[in-house]
Amino acid sequence: MQSIRRAAQLVAFVSLVLVLSVGSAFAQSRLIIASGTDAVTLDAHRITDSPSATVSEHITEPLFELTPDGQIVPHLVESYEVSDDGLVWTLHLRQGIRFHDGTPFNAAAVKYNLDRILDPANAVTFRFLIDPVISVEVVDDYTVRLTTGAPFAPILAHLTHSSIGMLSPAALERYGEDIARNPVGTGPFRFKEWVRNDRIVLERNPDYWGEPPQVDEIVFRVVPEDGARMLMVQTGEAHVAVRVPPDMVSVLERDPNVNVVFTPSVRTIYIGFNTYQRADRPKNPFTDVRVRQAFNYAVDNAAINEFILGGMGRPSDAPIAPGIFGYAAIGGYEYNPEKARQLLAEAGYPNGFRVQFYSPSGRYLKDLEVAEAVQAQLAEVGIQADIVTLEWATYLDATNRPAHENEVPMFLLGWGTVTGDADYGLYPLFHSSQWVPTGSNRAFYSNPRVDELLDRARTTPDDAVRRAAYEEAMRIIMEDAPWLFLHAETQITAIRSNVEGVIVHPTERIIASGARIR
Amino acid sequence: MSQYILRRLALVLPVLVGVSIVVFSMVRLIPGDPARVMAGEAASEEVVEMIRQQLGLNEHPVVQYWIFLKNLFRGDLGRSTLSRLPVLDEITAALPGTLQLAVASMVIATALGVTTGLLSAVRPNSWVDALSMFIALVGVSMPVFWLGLMLMLLFSLHLGWFPTAGHGTWRHLVLPSITLGLSSAAIIARMTRSSMLEVLRQDYVRTARAKGVPERGVVLRHAFRNALIPVVTVMGLQFGNLLGGAVLTETVFAWPGIGRLMVGAITARDYPVVQGAVLTVAVGFILINLLVDVLYAYIDPTIRYD
Repeated sequence: MQSIRRAAQLVAFVSLVLVLSVGSAFAQSRLIIASGTDAVTLDAHRITDSPSATVSEHITEPLFELTPDGQIVPHLVESYEVSDDGLVWTLHLRQGIRFHDGTPFNAAAVKYNLDRILDPANAVTFRFLIDPVISVEVVDDYTVRLTTGAPFAPILAHLTHSSIGMLSPAALERYGEDIARNPVGTGPFRFKEWVRNDRIVLERNPDYWGEPPQVDEIVFRVVPEDGARMLMVQTGEAHVAVRVPPDMVSVLERDPNVNVVFTPSVRTIYIGFNTYQRADRPKNPFTDVRVRQAFNYAVDNAAINEFILGGMGRPSDAPIAPGIFGYAAIGGYEYNPEKARQLLAEAGYPNGFRVQFYSPSGRYLKDLEVAEAVQAQLAEVGIQADIVTLEWATYLDATNRPAHENEVPMFLLGWGTVTGDADYGLYPLFHSSQWVPTGSNRAFYSNPRVDELLDRARTTPDDAVRRAAYEEAMRIIMEDAPWLFLHAETQITAIRSNVEGVIVHPTERIIASGARIR
Repeated sequence: MSQYILRRLALVLPVLVGVSIVVFSMVRLIPGDPARVMAGEAASEEVVEMIRQQLGLNEHPVVQYWIFLKNLFRGDLGRSTLSRLPVLDEITAALPGTLQLAVASMVIATALGVTTGLLSAVRPNSWVDALSMFIALVGVSMPVFWLGLMLMLLFSLHLGWFPTAGHGTWRHLVLPSITLGLSSAAIIARMTRSSMLEVLRQDYVRTARAKGVPERGVVLRHAFRNALIPVVTVMGLQFGNLLGGAVLTETVFAWPGIGRLMVGAITARDYPVVQGAVLTVAVGFILINLLVDVLYAYIDPTIRYD
């Protein structure tokens, strides 16, 4: 009797083992990405941060795609043509695509989305990317015609932006504001679940129109603590860990199971000078170009890059980073404290002066450490910079005040040219119509020639003319030095060595649509 | 007793109104514009102004408070200005995580704290006492982000016993609740020790010993129960702290809870979420205080509330 029972137990045990092992052979493949910050919203049109954009781009697709090497290629659009006067863009859409809820993707859907973005009442931040568009017409089921008021050259680049992604019109109607956590797009993955501050789960879209995804699920885990995130990729609890701190690179590189990937980012870090002379204040030294140039000569970018960023930055040789259309290596300021002192003396500050220097803390790679290094190097030429750190919301508020009430003389900030086109990297920052709070020109920089060049580059469809205009504009900007040009960031990502096909995009997004786990 | 509880519960309402006024004015007094944070650094003033209008931020603060209060009584905490999701959903999503972590670390803290406190008190100034009080001192002094990372290194990376971070199974709960429980354990241990030492000096303890009650009975039955009142008070306070103040542990272990929700909301000037989360934690505090008061009567029958 007992032996029968033992035999039965054995059979049960063996079959359990069999079931488990067969089960695991058919187990779902799940790619886990540990990111530092949770997404804010998955309503593509309202996204203004990279963590949200990273998740969203797997669900919601744009009309055009910016490839990692900076090419603009049609995506949901099959082909397009532009009228000779550069005002009318006709887009022929790919046919047979459906949104995840079954709604057909067609011209009406494109119009619905673009109209939602363009309606000022909807207060979409990135509306300005396409606001020269004055009408969106449905020509037939799969043809859309965009008309702009004036020629607008960067339009295709702007249509690659993740905030111009296509959401299902039916879902937008159904969910209203709740589309933020019920996104429905055409992408390779469908939204499955979002547990705030914990994880977002996407599942494979079996009906995807393009290259079918290789993994069944992608899980974005929110792990704010750097150390924990790195440990997770070492233990195999995560396949990808974003934002590796430079000082942890060597530890991860020693781990045979982990690869560390370095990708240049389109984000430029700079220190802006407030060049506006307020009537109610004493003379502002930054109105003098010699002072601004002196600051640039006084700072050793190469040393900051080597000793603070651990070689993970690229000293700026232009206001925008390589990989952006229109970039040209203009050449940065060499480190020359002698020249800095001389320029300061010429400007009437032989003994330097004292200035408040605003810096965020923890927003960009080693931001405060970089600010402290700049402070130390400025001290060498007689400038006493007192660092003021504010928490981010307060910081934005302070640097965003209109010229006549702005109290911030000098501030560290970053700008990501996420459209891959110089227009977005220069126009909002240097055109005189873009002084904060209207645009993002926080230096209150104004140069009529730069305005003219930026306007020309934006309204000419000819790439060669555009490049030439940007090059000249950037040359003047470097010379005028409304910024202390620092560096472009490098993204450092840790990826398990058994994972293939994860793309770290220069626009600070992780693309896992083609990922495979070996 | 039940009348006392009802009376105490009725007091919750005015306390909450008070808390809401304080929170409401505090979040608005700190500089920073929720509409600007929400729209992002690239947004134009036009967009920001439109959002400000939609969020009702241009209304007079008193009007804003009135609207908030009216909605509150309808059980509507509003929508997050950042994610545009209902605040109630954000809080109910974070609450289970907070409660799990608070209860688990309280269990650990109590078991560890009371045991070491008792052992120290029974043999005061012995090596057992010195050792446990030293450990308690270390426990209070260790920063949780350091302890948390050390536990991860040992138990996740080297031994592979527990997951590093995240939320899901009971195994995810072990490291964060130890990390969080240790400092509370230390405080409870010190309180148990001093309270026990005091009680052990009382006449009735001497009487019990004189009667020939075994030492074990003297300590556990006669002394311990009488030493419990201050210990329970401290435990109540600790538990209350764990509800809203576990933000560091939650961050290190990527644990979704009220603490992280609240800090994230403060950073983004997400007024409705800050208000909702603080009110929730306040309710938690009030209920725990009430529970502690009720426990007093249970521990010490001479305490009556009628």
